Amino acid sequence: DGAAVLPAPQNLSVQSTNMKHVLTWSPVMVPEETVYYSVEYQGEYESLYMSHIWIPSSWCSPTAGPECDITDDITATVPYSLRVRATLGSQTSAWSTLKHPFNRNSTILTPPGMEVTKDGFHLVIKLEDLGPQFEFFVAYWRREPGAKEHIKMVRPGGIPMHLETMDPGATYCVKARTFVKAIGRYSAFSQAECVKVQGESLPL
Amino acid sequence: RGLRTCLISTNLRLIEESFRGIKQAIQAKDTLQNVTILSPSETLHGMKALDVCCMTKNLLAFYVDRVFKDHQELDPRILRKISSIANSFLYMQKTLQQCQRLCHCRQEATNATRIIHDNYAQLEVRSAAIKSLGELDIFLAWIEKNHQGTSAA
Amino acid sequence: VPCVSSGLPKPTNITFLSINMKNILQWNPPEGLHGAEITYTVQYFIYGQKKWLNKSECRNIHRTYCDLSDETSDYEHQYYAKVKAIWGMNCSKWAETGRFYPFLETQIGPPEVALTTDEKSISIVLTAPEKWKKNPEESSISMQQIYSNLKYNVSIYNTKSNRTWSQCVTNHTLVLSWLEPDTVYCVLVESLVPGPARLTRPSEKQCVSTLKDQTSELKVK
Repeated sequence: DGAAVLPAPQNLSVQSTNMKHVLTWSPVMVPEETVYYSVEYQGEYESLYMSHIWIPSSWCSPTAGPECDITDDITATVPYSLRVRATLGSQTSAWSTLKHPFNRNSTILTPPGMEVTKDGFHLVIKLEDLGPQFEFFVAYWRREPGAKEHIKMVRPGGIPMHLETMDPGATYCVKARTFVKAIGRYSAFSQAECVKVQGESLPL
Repeated sequence: RGLRTCLISTNLRLIEESFRGIKQAIQAKDTLQNVTILSPSETLHGMKALDVCCMTKNLLAFYVDRVFKDHQELDPRILRKISSIANSFLYMQKTLQQCQRLCHCRQEATNATRIIHDNYAQLEVRSAAIKSLGELDIFLAWIEKNHQGTSAA
Repeated sequence: VPCVSSGLPKPTNITFLSINMKNILQWNPPEGLHGAEITYTVQYFIYGQKKWLNKSECRNIHRTYCDLSDETSDYEHQYYAKVKAIWGMNCSKWAETGRFYPFLETQIGPPEVALTTDEKSISIVLTAPEKWKKNPEESSISMQQIYSNLKYNVSIYNTKSNRTWSQCVTNHTLVLSWLEPDTVYCVLVESLVPGPARLTRPSEKQCVSTLKDQTSELKVK
């Protein structure tokens, strides 16, 4: 391939939040020229059994920006090696490889966005749609001394789900966290949200 | 770790979707319709619950150590899907390795595994690899069915 | 007298439409032969077996579908099917399906949904969909027996508040209590099976009204 004249991209790193993974690098600057980049990856399987095989990334072979959404490439919970090179016309840089392989189990899991509402006496929750890999642990309780916390697994996000039939006059609180089975990890709980039910509260 | 949590805590759905992305292309290349590698009725369907873990382990090894290696794929789109499945199987193997104590291998599982390897050996290696890739849905359905009710699948 | 394989175009879009293991092979007529008196012949193949088999009820037929439910009833096997077009003495080449795997590909139909109401509640009783059977006299097999982790997504729409919410249930009875009296609620249920994504077929939307509030009726009198 073309003589490696261009400098290789530097400062490769991966930002990963809620199982969305973005590879970034410092752009190669050539005045008044558009430099393109190609991203390739190798899962642990390839590095163990087929080390000569590098797979072109789904969305960034080539790309103009100094970043690449590699979410659709990182599809197993194993270390992935990633490399980038720059291209300008027939000129091609050397490959620059991520210093440490990336494993999606390091993704940052944020508490889920949620909307707690009621339809008459029915407690309803709508959770942020984070994609098919996410399940939600929802904890809810009736706000009273010695309240017992109930847990419900809710899936998927994005549609209003019934949580509980509430007692008249009571106040119910809800908090939720995400669970990603593929990496076996939870997020922190969201802030609790409470709703009050109309009507006189029933004798305890 | 109990067998229940030990079994594959993997999101099978993504593996199944990866396979669905290549099913038509791979199965179309398999022209030997009168031959099967996994031979479900002889090997998988008779498996007792006791043998599920060992059979899963053996089949993961069959694919990781043999099939994926023997298959040469040029189409990047298919290559990505196969890589996704291969790396997911690698992760599943690691998960199962944490249960050596609970993953006994009885004669039944060993015999069934040998039938599969024998079936594979009877074909030219590229045809055998293509056919085995095309039968991944049989294996995935079997895993789904046999790991139900566990926290895993 | 066997037909002659000629340049007759093949049938197109040959696929299985499978719902609760009722497996119908369907196809489109060959292109460019509108008005011609075309007939079709179907064969099927059990993956791993030795040869193609005839489906006698689908030999020289005019319709563009063929029920292969009986021939593909062992849902853990995989199958191929093929069809050719015949016009007079000429016939097309075979048009063949991909490999069909009923266990993974059949659509799970909706359950039967029975609703009963009173003032402030609606009882929902679900009956699991049944697997296709050859004769009505045969004993029924529920799809739950095949997919033990079958679940139902129950959607409830309050026509007064214009709110919809869902519940995922595994058992077959669900009581929605503390509803608003004299209010129309609409219910729609889908069967769900973990595993590869499948097309779902929701039940018909059923709407019922909770009864008027008897206490306020008494006060009025």
